[in-house]
Amino acid sequence: MMDNRPRRLDEILSACGSALSRKLTSSAAEIYVDLPAANAPAASAYLRSAGCRHVAVFAEDRVAEDSHDYIYYVFEHPDDCRYLVLRAAIDLDDTAFPSMAAEVPALNWQEREIQDWFGLEALGHPNPRRVALHDNWPDVHPLRKDFSIDTVLPPFEGEQHVYRPTLGEGVFQIPVGPVHAGIIEPGHFSFAVAGEPILYLQLRMFYVHKGIEKRFEQLTADRAVFLAESVSGDSSFSHGTAFCQALERIGGVEVPEPAHRMRTILLELERIYNHVADIGAIVTDVGFVIANAHASRLREEILRINEELTGSRLLRSVVCPGGVRRPWDRDHVSNTLAALTPFEREFNELVDMIQSSDSTRDRLERTGILNPDQARDLGIIGVAGRASGHDRDVRRDHPYAAYDSLEIQVPVYQEGDVLRRMQVRIDEVRESLQLIRAAESGLASGPHRVSMPPLPADQYALGSVEGWRGEILYWVRTAANNRIARCRVKDPSLNNWPAVVEAVQGNIVPDFPVINKSFSLSYSGTDR
Amino acid sequence: MIAQIISVIGQTALVLLFSPLITAFSRTIKARLQTRRGPGLFQPYRDLHKLLRKGMVIPETASWIFTATPYVLFATTLLAGLLIPTIATQAPLSLFGGVLAVVYLLALGRFFLALGGLDTGSSFGGLGSSREMTISAIAEPALMLAVFTVALGAGSTNLSSVAQAAVGQSWRFLSPSQMLAFAALFIVLIAETGRIPVDNPATHLELTMIHEAMILEYSGPCLALIEWSASMKQMVLMTLLVNVFFPYGLSADGSPLGMLISVALFVFKLLILALAVVLVETGNAKLRLFRVPELLAVAFVLSALALISTFLFGVHGG
Repeated sequence: MMDNRPRRLDEILSACGSALSRKLTSSAAEIYVDLPAANAPAASAYLRSAGCRHVAVFAEDRVAEDSHDYIYYVFEHPDDCRYLVLRAAIDLDDTAFPSMAAEVPALNWQEREIQDWFGLEALGHPNPRRVALHDNWPDVHPLRKDFSIDTVLPPFEGEQHVYRPTLGEGVFQIPVGPVHAGIIEPGHFSFAVAGEPILYLQLRMFYVHKGIEKRFEQLTADRAVFLAESVSGDSSFSHGTAFCQALERIGGVEVPEPAHRMRTILLELERIYNHVADIGAIVTDVGFVIANAHASRLREEILRINEELTGSRLLRSVVCPGGVRRPWDRDHVSNTLAALTPFEREFNELVDMIQSSDSTRDRLERTGILNPDQARDLGIIGVAGRASGHDRDVRRDHPYAAYDSLEIQVPVYQEGDVLRRMQVRIDEVRESLQLIRAAESGLASGPHRVSMPPLPADQYALGSVEGWRGEILYWVRTAANNRIARCRVKDPSLNNWPAVVEAVQGNIVPDFPVINKSFSLSYSGTDR
Repeated sequence: MIAQIISVIGQTALVLLFSPLITAFSRTIKARLQTRRGPGLFQPYRDLHKLLRKGMVIPETASWIFTATPYVLFATTLLAGLLIPTIATQAPLSLFGGVLAVVYLLALGRFFLALGGLDTGSSFGGLGSSREMTISAIAEPALMLAVFTVALGAGSTNLSSVAQAAVGQSWRFLSPSQMLAFAALFIVLIAETGRIPVDNPATHLELTMIHEAMILEYSGPCLALIEWSASMKQMVLMTLLVNVFFPYGLSADGSPLGMLISVALFVFKLLILALAVVLVETGNAKLRLFRVPELLAVAFVLSALALISTFLFGVHGG
C-alpha cells in the first residue's frame, strides 16, 4: 500500500537542483538531506512554497564524534508519506544557527530550546529570551555531552522573568498560577485585561522540566521505553509506540501483523478515554456538570477495558520494541471489546444531551476562535488544527501500526471555536470505535512480538504517532551497547501552546478556562 | 414583650441552625442528579465547625475593612432574617418599612463583601467585586419592583401585614401580577444566591468565579461567618418567596399544634423551592458573564409587568 502513495518530495527535491541534492539516506519513511546551515532558511522557504509543512527543528551534539553540532529540520508534504529531514552542520568555532522563527512562528519555542540546551544562538530570533531553562539557572547547557547528568549546580539567583508591561487607562494584569486550584500541573498565565476582555496573554511553561531528553542518553533502548511512556502520563501508549517505532526502524525489524493490530486497538482506546474525559471537562467548565458525570463514567468503562486487555488501566508497560509484551487470547479480546457496543450507545446519549443543551452551545460556539490562517502560521496540529481547517492526521498521512490497511475519516472544521474542537473529539471517538472494530475483525493469530536484535550503533530514525492530542514525534540516535545517544521528544503540547495565546484574545476572562480546556495540552509533555 | 423576645430568640435559632441544612439539601440533590452520593446533610455544619476552630491568615495589605466585613455581613443577614415571617404571620421584628429594610440590609452586607474583596488588592478579589456589583445593579431594581408589586396588593410594605393579607386570599398567587412577580423573584433568587446559570458555587476556577472570588482571601472563622451568611441569605430570600406567595400554614394564632404544622409546612415549602433551584442548576450551563445582565433584565421586565398588571387586572386576579 505504501508503495502506491504519491512521492511528491522526490519531485520537489529534484526541482530544486543542486542545493538539496546531498542525500544522506533515504528509506520508506524518511529522507535525509545534508546542507550548509546558512542555506537552511532559503531551503525552508522553498519547501514551504512547494506546499511542505515545517514540522520541527532540533539539535544534536556530535562534537566528540565528528566535531560538529547538527541542526535538524523536519518537513512533511500532504502528498508524501515520508518525512524530509534537512541536516545542517554547525562548525566547532561557530556557535550560532540562522533563526526562522520570524517566518515560521511554529519554530519559536523549539529554537529557543536549542539556545537553552545546547548554547547555540538562534541568529535573528525575534524574542530570544530563555524558554526551557528558567532564569534561576546559571548559564549551563544541559544537553551538551560535556554536561554530566549528575552535575550539582550551585545556588544561583537569576533575574526574574520579565513580562511585557501592561499599560493604559483601566488596563490591569491578572497573574494566574503557576500553582492552580484544580489537580493540574503548573504553568503561569499573565493576562492583560481591560475590564473583562483579554487584551493579551503571556505564558510561562517549563516549571516541571525534568531533563527527560538528557535521561534518555543514560538508558538502554529497552529500558528507555518506560521513560518514553512517562513523558505525558495520559498519552503513555502513544509515546511508547512512537519511541518503539523509531527503534524498530533503526533495527530494521518488521513488527508482526497481529502486534500492529493490537497496537492500533490500544492507540484508539487511549484516544477514546482521553477524548471522552475532555468532552466532560469542557462542559464542566461551562457549568454543565451533569454531562461530565456521565462522561467520567464512560471514561471509566474504557479504563476497565484497558485493564482487562492489558492489565494496565492507563496502558503502561504494554508496548515494547518489536510488538507488544503479552499475547492476546482472541476470544477474550472479542468478549472484552463487546463492551464497546453499550459504550457507543451511551456515548451517543451523552452527545445528544450536550448538543440539545442550548445554554451549553451558547457558551461554546464562537468562543476562543483560532482561525485557519492563524492555525497554519503557528503550525497547529492535532485536534485543534483539525478544528481550524488543518487537514492533517499522522494515521492517514504517515501510516504506522495497522492504519495503512484501514480507512480513516478525518473530521475537519473551519470555524476553529471551542464547539468545533469538541466536535472533532466527538467525531473521532466514533471513528475510533469503527477503527477498533475493523482492527479486531482482522486480528489473526500469530506472534505478538519479534525479539529485537541488538541495535546497531550510530543509526538514527524518526517515529511518529497521532496521539489523541496530535502528532507525537520521536527522533532517536543509537549509541554502542544498545544505548541511546540522543532522543528528541516532540509532544503536540509543545507545538500548540501558542494557539491558546491567539485564541483567547478578545474573549472575556471567565471564558479562559473553557478555551484552555478545549486545547487540553499537557504541561509535562511540554516541559519534559 | 416576653412573647416578642421569645419569638426573636426562636427565629434567630431557626435561621442560624436551619439555613445550613437547606444548603446541604441542595448539594445532596445536586450530587444525586450527577450520579454522586454527596457528602451528606451534615457537611455544612461540619465545615462551619472546622473553620471556626482554625487559625486565620490575614493578608498584609488588608485594612480594617477586611476583618470587619464578615461581622457586618453576618449581622445584617441575620437581622434581615428576623424581619421576615417564617412560621407565624408575625415577624419578630419590623424596622423601617419592613421589606425595604430586608432589601437594604442585604445590600449593605453585599457592599461590605465587595469592599472586602477589593481591600486586599488581589486581582481575583477585584474581579469578583466588580462582577458582583454589575449583577446586583440589575438584580436589586428587579427585586424592589417585584416586592412593590406584592406590597401594593397588601397595601403595606410591612412583611407581617403582607403575609396576613396573603393568608386571607389563598388563591391570590394565580393572579397575573403575582405570577409575574414570583417569576422575577425566582430569577433574582438564583442570581443573589450565586447559582448556575449565574454563578457556579462549586467551581475551582478562580477566573470564572463571582461570589467565591471575593472571598478567596478569607480563612478560618471569618470564612465560616461568610459561608454561614451565604446560607442564611439563601434562606431569607427563599422564605420571602414561599411565604409571600404561598403563605399556607402560616400560623396566625400561635397555638402549639398550629406552630408544629407551620414548621412542617415551612420546611416542606423551602425544600420544594430548593429542589426547583437545583433542577434549574442541573439542566443548564452557566451563562456567559455578559449574558447574565440579559437574564436579570428579563427579571426586571417581569417585575415591571407585574407592577403594571397590578393596576390593569387588580391584585385578586380580576
